[in-house]
Amino acid sequence: MNYLIELLVSGLAVGAVYGLIAMSFAIIFKATGLLNFAQGEMGMITAYVAFSIASATDGNPWLTAAGAIVFSVLFALAVERIVIRPMVDEPILARIMTTIGLAVIFRSGTMLVWDALPHDMGLAAGSALVDLGGVRVRGAQIGVVVALAVAVAAMLAFFRYSRFGIAMRAVASDDATARLMGVKTARVQQAAWGAAAVMSGIAGALFAIAWELSPSLYALGLKSFPATILGGLDSVVGSAFGGVVIGITENLVGGYLSPGLKEVAGFVIIIAILMVRPYGLFGEKRIERL
Amino acid sequence: MRSGFYKQTIAEHLALTDSWTQRAWIAVALAALATAPFVLDTYLLTLVTLMMITAVGGIGLNILTGWTGLISLGQTGFMVLGAYGYAIPVETWGWDPLAGFLLAGLVPAAASVLVGIPSLRLTGLYLAITTLASAFIVVHLVLEFPGLTNGASGIFVNRPTVLGWTVFTDQDLFRLVAIFLVLTILGALNLRRSRIGRAWFAIRDKDDAARVMGVDLRTYKLYAFVASSFVVGLSGALYGIFLSFVTVDGFPFLLSIEALAMLIVGGMGSIAGAVLGAVFLVGLPEVVSMVFSAFGDSARALLSTGAHEVKGVLYGLVIIGFLRLQPEGLMGLWRDAQRVWTLWPLRY
Amino acid sequence: MKSWKGAALLAAALAAPAMAADQGVTDTEILLGEVEPLTGPPGLLGIAHNLGVRLALAEANAAGGVGGRTLKLVAEDDGYVTSRTIQSLRKLIGVDKVFALTAVSGSGQAVASIPVLKQSGIPTMIPIGPLPPLYEPPMDNVFVVGQSYTEGMHQLALFLAEKHPGAKWGVITQDDDYGAALREGIEQAKGEAQIEVAFETRYARGQKDFSSEMLRVKDAGVEVLIAGGIISENIAMVKEAEKLGITPAIATFWPGRVPEVLKAIGPASDGIYAVDYVAPIQSDAGQAFLELARKHLTEDEVARVNRYTMTGYTSTRLLIAAMQTCAEDLTWACTNQALADGPAVDTGVMAPAAFAGGRFTNSPVTIMQADYETLSYAPVD
Repeated sequence: MNYLIELLVSGLAVGAVYGLIAMSFAIIFKATGLLNFAQGEMGMITAYVAFSIASATDGNPWLTAAGAIVFSVLFALAVERIVIRPMVDEPILARIMTTIGLAVIFRSGTMLVWDALPHDMGLAAGSALVDLGGVRVRGAQIGVVVALAVAVAAMLAFFRYSRFGIAMRAVASDDATARLMGVKTARVQQAAWGAAAVMSGIAGALFAIAWELSPSLYALGLKSFPATILGGLDSVVGSAFGGVVIGITENLVGGYLSPGLKEVAGFVIIIAILMVRPYGLFGEKRIERL
Repeated sequence: MRSGFYKQTIAEHLALTDSWTQRAWIAVALAALATAPFVLDTYLLTLVTLMMITAVGGIGLNILTGWTGLISLGQTGFMVLGAYGYAIPVETWGWDPLAGFLLAGLVPAAASVLVGIPSLRLTGLYLAITTLASAFIVVHLVLEFPGLTNGASGIFVNRPTVLGWTVFTDQDLFRLVAIFLVLTILGALNLRRSRIGRAWFAIRDKDDAARVMGVDLRTYKLYAFVASSFVVGLSGALYGIFLSFVTVDGFPFLLSIEALAMLIVGGMGSIAGAVLGAVFLVGLPEVVSMVFSAFGDSARALLSTGAHEVKGVLYGLVIIGFLRLQPEGLMGLWRDAQRVWTLWPLRY
Repeated sequence: MKSWKGAALLAAALAAPAMAADQGVTDTEILLGEVEPLTGPPGLLGIAHNLGVRLALAEANAAGGVGGRTLKLVAEDDGYVTSRTIQSLRKLIGVDKVFALTAVSGSGQAVASIPVLKQSGIPTMIPIGPLPPLYEPPMDNVFVVGQSYTEGMHQLALFLAEKHPGAKWGVITQDDDYGAALREGIEQAKGEAQIEVAFETRYARGQKDFSSEMLRVKDAGVEVLIAGGIISENIAMVKEAEKLGITPAIATFWPGRVPEVLKAIGPASDGIYAVDYVAPIQSDAGQAFLELARKHLTEDEVARVNRYTMTGYTSTRLLIAAMQTCAEDLTWACTNQALADGPAVDTGVMAPAAFAGGRFTNSPVTIMQADYETLSYAPVD
């Protein structure tokens, strides 16, 4: 019994990481119709910046968190403005390839600026062990679950109550009409990029604390992808749920079935979902079939 | 001098070549392929061989992405299937290499039916997502059945004997690959001018209109996916022969991205573009290395401080640069140059 | 026609080494080449190895070179991608025309390069990833320095079986040829000692989350854990064990035996076992090696020295010694012969290495234990 609980807890922790990154995919897709294949890389860069700040401030968690969040937003806005916005009227393939090109640059750039070695983040609070009724977890793992919960609550409130959230829904449902109604679509898309950067940045940094910081951290983006599909590409909150489901599934598959299957479990789910419910569990049924 | 491209009869549309200039270019290219093995040194020869193998894969993807407008991120998976589809029958079971090449195309084609049926009924990005997933699943399956695939240890692949011709030297391999490239180009061009090819174009340009004209979208998209996978599988088999060793490690996921990048750099939707893109992207790291070594000792000092990553950054910049500044790719540049040549000194 | 062609090819193949024997050698210079990953995470080993080769060359050049000729090195980056390894090899052999190769990237890349190496006949040193297919059956011109993973695992398992009699074992290995070699080593040890494996699994390369694997380790009551990852994987496994509050004896392997791993794991890394055929940096021999490195390399470079620097250095010293024997008649045939029959080279950081007529140094391994305080490893008694 304890074994099952421990599997569920570790699945929840890693699932929360997937969930945050999946939410980043979804919010950008919702606001711009674009899949950002560089999302994992952007999370990784934020984690590295957090690592640099932590080293410079002797592991002060508040300064690190504040600095990393500010950086992630500025970085995302710069990327959006310089690289993504000018491509706005290009065909979708060109826009997707732009993000893939960005991903390649970010991967090499990370190793250029930092190095290829694995690092410990140097944040004592994050790697401290906490005993939760017999199940031991790291501080950062609690942190990432809390962050996911906060992000979900914030997104729910945002889309329900904020003018901006409603504007984003308008842009998502019909870009041109929204613009005619006076919605500044560019502003909406910037907000989406900023929010995505914060969520994937938090996921990247907390993953780096609880597990490790290395230049292969970007692979988290790829691993989170199935979560977005499961939850629904345009459903931000659904993606969070998808992340948790995938994380727990992976751990249950690894814990009871073949561990080799664990790494592809997510991708098998993608294929299954697309056959049965292509718009995901929570996505809007506006996907056209032939 | 010709001033434009005007086609007035169906026969002109169906012709493989449209002008003497074009035929002259083709003759030059064929002559270059024929003489290259006698002229080039082994390094350049293998470089061009690799370019041609990559071009075969690029043409395959072009059928799907350039002509039918569907995005695939599963190039790696189909190349792996092609490589094993060749290596297992030929090396393990001792079949004739010709049968191996046939299977190298058929196995990925069959897999594409499996992947394609659920995903092609959806519009949008869904094929990209399923093919991405299938690329990872294929690698997993190869590792999961070591009895058939020899698992992670891989299979050694000898250079084949085709119809009594033993491919032994690098020159022979060059010729074999050149033959495959020419056959692929001919096959693709013939598909393009058939009813199927015109249906693909119609789907790419406006799928609703295509449907009104009686094109069954699902069927024709599936045709495109199958044809594309067949050709990509062949390039995988050739790549396996080139490496003389087939493992999943030899086919990193990066190949999928490179294949798309190649079409963008070369020029989407044209065979010449796919070939140019392959030449450009395979050549790029070599050119960068040459530039680096031209700096001599200072570059060697950079080596140990990790400035090799600059290459990766450059690669990404080239992709984004083309998308942003020359979305038609190298073929677009070529057409611009032609126009300037014809119209000079006038602007238009 | 066909037989004529076959005969011509055979003649060409036989004649090629003799005709091209002096390539890369001028009156003043000898050009050597190598392929290794200098970019990406595998650059950790490629760059360190490259430093070792350059150290050996700098030392030899300072002592007058080989027969008065200066040694130069061309290093090609393959980013650990097999097609680029083969591409680079052909460039080194065909265009740069190097005299010998000081490394052919990692184990998978080297195995894939066998046909090219065989065909060319160029003297080749393999100091990274010594896998059996590279020396069984031996090839005339390919020289493998080090020890196989299988034998290393075999020795490590025998040691652990004696140290922890009757313990339950857990084995986590990678799903590739590296993992297969480790599993074979354990099988061999099982025949000679009492080993009870309570849990065994394989993970997919690149996996980052090992929580379910380690939970199964805990559930099975494992007391001796073979952590068969490379770098990131071992960090993840040990940190996960710390989290779960289990303290099995953990054994790791040489590919990840670098101080950065201990640092990234933290205090939990104290006492981890490792096996290697290279001396730890903190040992006397290691310190003497660092001293030597400081003489010939920049401070930045000395900071990147690790075990791969030592293997690269030892293997290049063997090559230089053979070339010196052949200084008067610097041909491939002579160098291959001198490498095979030459006396042992003792660099201090490895047991005296020689090929003894064969193509493999079969270097003895040492079991060591990590010390987190000093971020180093020390031999166990």
